[in-house]
Amino acid sequence: MDRFYVTIIHRPEMVPEYIQKDAEAGRQEDLTRSSVIQESLDIFRTQQQTAHDNGLRTTIQMTYASLFNEEAVAIAREHQATYGDEIGSTFLGLQCQEFRDQFKSKELAIWLFSIEDKKRIVDEVLGRFHQVFGFYPTSTGSYYMDAELINYIKQQYPMIKVAVATCWEEGPKAYWNANNSWYTFLDGGPWNPWIPSKRNIHCPASDDEDDIGIVAIPHLSRDLMAVFDGPGSYYGTHPQNILRGMVYEDREIPYFRNIVDQYRSMVKYNRGYAYNMMFVGPGWMSKTGRWEADYDFLLKSYQDGMAYYGQLKEQGKAQDVTMSEFADIYRLDRAYTRPECTLWQDILYGSQRQQFWYVDPWLRLCLDMNQGGAMIDLRPYAAKLVRPCGVGTKYLQDASYPFLVQSLYRAGYFTHYAGEGAVKSCRFSHGDEAVDLCACRTRASFSEEGDTRIVTLDPVDIEFTDFAISVQSVFRFAEGTGEIEIVRHVLDTTGPDAEVTIDEYLTGCYGTTEYPEDLTGVRLSLEGASGTEAIEYAYRCHEAEMPGITLVEAVVPQVDTRLSMRSDADEASGYFREGFAFSPMYTIGIKKTVRGEGELRTWLKVEKAG
Amino acid sequence: MAQGRKGTLNYRCPRCLMREIDMDMLYDRDKGEYYCLRCSFTGDEQEVLRLNAQFRAKYRDRMKRITDY
Repeated sequence: MDRFYVTIIHRPEMVPEYIQKDAEAGRQEDLTRSSVIQESLDIFRTQQQTAHDNGLRTTIQMTYASLFNEEAVAIAREHQATYGDEIGSTFLGLQCQEFRDQFKSKELAIWLFSIEDKKRIVDEVLGRFHQVFGFYPTSTGSYYMDAELINYIKQQYPMIKVAVATCWEEGPKAYWNANNSWYTFLDGGPWNPWIPSKRNIHCPASDDEDDIGIVAIPHLSRDLMAVFDGPGSYYGTHPQNILRGMVYEDREIPYFRNIVDQYRSMVKYNRGYAYNMMFVGPGWMSKTGRWEADYDFLLKSYQDGMAYYGQLKEQGKAQDVTMSEFADIYRLDRAYTRPECTLWQDILYGSQRQQFWYVDPWLRLCLDMNQGGAMIDLRPYAAKLVRPCGVGTKYLQDASYPFLVQSLYRAGYFTHYAGEGAVKSCRFSHGDEAVDLCACRTRASFSEEGDTRIVTLDPVDIEFTDFAISVQSVFRFAEGTGEIEIVRHVLDTTGPDAEVTIDEYLTGCYGTTEYPEDLTGVRLSLEGASGTEAIEYAYRCHEAEMPGITLVEAVVPQVDTRLSMRSDADEASGYFREGFAFSPMYTIGIKKTVRGEGELRTWLKVEKAG
Repeated sequence: MAQGRKGTLNYRCPRCLMREIDMDMLYDRDKGEYYCLRCSFTGDEQEVLRLNAQFRAKYRDRMKRITDY
C-alpha cells in the first residue's frame, strides 16, 4: 500500500530575522523588543491552530530563545498533551539576550560556529531544554548541521534520532538571490529524507558502521527542477516561499498543490513511499506583510496549504507524523543501499521537461531529458569527504558537497566561444558530421527489474546529410554497485551501410560554486590491450586514444574520487582529453563504430580514490 | 532629496527580480517613487506592479492545477 508521510514543523522563534529587521528600521537593535516577541508568538499560535483545525499534528521545535518564554513553553506543553504534538529542539532562533550575554556572539547559524562553540551551544541549548521540560528532545535541526556537529550530539545525547539537516540546493543560488548576503552554501544533498554518513552529512550512509545515528530531513520539499536553476526560497512546500517567487495570480496558488501531488507521486519510484515536510518560521508571516503580500494573503496561503494536507489526511491519502515518529517509520524497512529516485516533471514553466534525480550511498545525479538524458549533476558520495564547516575550518561557510559535473555552474553543452562545459552525454558522428544527444529533447519512463532501477528514454532521430538514425538511451542502476550501465542503441537507420561512431563521454571538473578550481594533478589514464597511458593534468591540451580499451579513468585527488568508464565491446576505443586554462575541464570517453543498427554499452563507476 | 524609507509593502526591485535578486527598494515620499540601490530602477507603484506581472508571465503553469504525474 502506498504511504505518503507529512511532517509539519513550527518553531516559536522569538526574534525572527525578518520581523526584527523591519522593527529595527530607523531604530537601534533591541533583542528584547516586546512587540516583536509578541507578534512572533501570535504567529506561532496561529500556525499551530491552523494545523490543528485541519486535523494535523505538528512537531514544535523550541528555539533557545523560546525556552525563556513562559507562554511559548506553556503552549508547547498544552499542545503536546491535547493534540499529540512532539516537542523538539532547534538550533535556529538562537539569538536572544540570554544567548548574547552568554556567548558574546551575533552568529545565527549553528553550523558556522567553531567546533568548540558548537559543543558549548549544544550543551547549553539541550541542557536548558531538559531544565524546562524535564526530558531531552528526540528531534532537532537547523538549516544545516554538519556531520561533526551531529556526531557530537549523538555522542552526548543519544536519544536524538532525527534532525532537519540541510536545505536542498540552497547554495550559491540562494546567496545570489539574497543580494549576496545569505550564507547558506549547502548544495549537494538529497531532496528527501536519508540516513547520513558519519563522515559527511550530505552522503547517505553505506552501512551500519557508517550510519551517523539519525534520520536526516531536508528543510522543505523543493521543486527539483525550478530550484536546481533558481532560488530555493521561491519554490517548495512553503507557501510564503511561493509568494516570494510570485507564483500566483489573484491570490490563488495551485502550484502548492501541484508540488505536493508531485511528491505524492514519488511512490512510483520508491516502493510505495513518499514524503513531504512543511516548515514555516514566524518571520515569514509578519503582520506588516512580506514579499509584496499583505498579512491576509500570507495567512490565506498558509491556511490553504495546511487545508490541502488536512484534506489528504481525511481522504486517507496522507499520514501526519511528527519528526520522531517518521524517523522510526523510515528506519523500519530502509536498506542502506536503497536509492531514492524521482522522475520530476516541470509544473511551472509549461515545458513538458523531465529530469531524473537519483541518490544512493555512492552518488547523486540528475539526467535532463531536455538534453537527451545528459547527466547535468554528479556528486561523488562514495568519496565520503570529511569537510567540517564553520570558523576554524578550511571551508568555513562552504558546506556544499562537491560536484564532478554541474552543468549550470560549469556551462554544460553550451559554451561561449571556446572550450567545453561539464556534462556527461553521447555524440554520434559520421564523416565530418556530429550530433550530440544534448541537442535531442526527449521524454523518459521509469521501471524496475528486481533491484535494478531503469530509466528508458524515448527514441530520438538524428539526421545526417545522407541518412538518419533512431537512437534510444537506457540507464540502468543496479542497487549496491555504485555503477551505472548506459546503453546507446541505434534502433533504426535509413542508411544500413553507413558507419556511425558512438562516443560516450564525460566532461568533468570539480567544485562547489560557479568558479573554476585548480585541476593540476588530476590523473587521466587509459588501460587496454596495448598497455596503459596516463598523464597528470597541467592544462596542456594533451589527448590520447587507445583501441581495445578496458578502462578509462579520471582520478581527482582534490575530491578523493576515481571516475571510471568501461565497456563490454571488444572493438571499442577509449580516450582522454586534457583541457586548458580557458576550458578547465577533463574529458574521458569510449567510442565504437557501428554499421547500420548496433549499440554501445558502457558502465560509469564512482569510487573513493584513496 | 528626501530620506528613503520603506513603502507600505516591501516592494522588491522588479528589474533585479528579473535576474532573481531580491532587493528591497526604498520609497521617496517627495517624488512618490520607489528606487533601487543596486540597479538604478525608479518607478511608481503602478510601474512596479506592471513589471511584477511581467515577471510572473514566465510561469506559464502558475494557474494550472496539474494532477497527472
